[in-house]
Amino acid sequence: MTNEAEWIRLARAGDQAAFGRLVGAYQTRVYNLAYRMLGNASEAEEAAQETFLRVYTHLHSYDPQRPFRSWLLSIASHYCIDRLRRRRIVWLPLDEEIAVPDRLVSDRPNPEAVTIQREREEQIQRLLAALSPTDRAAITLRYWYDCSYEEIAEMLNLTASAVKSRLHRARRGLAKMMQGETANAL
Amino acid sequence: MHCEQASQMMSARLDDCLDSTEIDLLEDHLAACSGCQAEWRRLQALDRLLASTPMLRAPLRVRVQVMARLNRREQTRRAIIGSTALALGTVALALLALAPVFLGLLDATGITPALISGGPATIVQLLTFLRTIWRALLVLIELVLIERSAVPLAFLGLCGLVIALALNGLWVGAVRRLRTAR
Repeated sequence: MTNEAEWIRLARAGDQAAFGRLVGAYQTRVYNLAYRMLGNASEAEEAAQETFLRVYTHLHSYDPQRPFRSWLLSIASHYCIDRLRRRRIVWLPLDEEIAVPDRLVSDRPNPEAVTIQREREEQIQRLLAALSPTDRAAITLRYWYDCSYEEIAEMLNLTASAVKSRLHRARRGLAKMMQGETANAL
Repeated sequence: MHCEQASQMMSARLDDCLDSTEIDLLEDHLAACSGCQAEWRRLQALDRLLASTPMLRAPLRVRVQVMARLNRREQTRRAIIGSTALALGTVALALLALAPVFLGLLDATGITPALISGGPATIVQLLTFLRTIWRALLVLIELVLIERSAVPLAFLGLCGLVIALALNGLWVGAVRRLRTAR
């Protein structure tokens, strides 16, 4: 039995320390998904916490035959989609608008690289913000989690062909938007 | 091949979902269509941008905060279970302790047959029943304190109370075990 399977088994029996290990193992994946979906750090943090609380509450209904990662990301995606749909006006703290996602997996201490990274992050979040919540989730799961059409379909309650067509439509829109931004910058 | 079809195939190609025949078809179309070539370049640029952006690392406090919220929630849950179970147990045991007194008193006042035959079928009847019980309790206190004729009945009630307290102790132990279980 792998560490993960053992932690899940113990967590289901009420062992909070084992659940803490699961949180530690998956917090970056859940936080990154929430950040890509919601677009700001404080909401992403709140969404990550809420996702883990929901996971703990519903752990008894988790089917061990299914990959835990898919189940977890599915809960996180649905939570973020619901949150985006409920959102009418987004009030961001002033520093959030220029927040540097400085906790990158590939740390780059070079200031120039940090600036480039910051600009790239801002561009990506602007692009993602133009998508519908479900398309945003599909793009995020495809690029940052390397999920197949089938996996994304299962996580978002869609068919594989719907995922394929959503990805196509989203990419087309984003590519045009990106080209427009580049043209404006010149 | 239509441009729309080619566009869909471009997206599928970025996902490595085309076989060699489909790739050839797409390449042939791209070689002949400048509009699709431009779109393909745009899609590739987007793909490179997204694929080269790393995952964001979660702040360390996420785990700490999740565990703190989980602990708070667990404490609240246990407090609710504990207080509800204790309240229910105490009420049940109090009724148990007073049952011999009530039964004896009902016999003494001669209203048992009426209760058995009628029963509290409606809310009005239930309220009447409770009022009767309350009056009977007052009569009992009067009998014990003034006329001393109901001392055996009071002794019976005292025994019931002692048994109820003992059972209550067991109940508290059971509730404690329930609160520590998830």
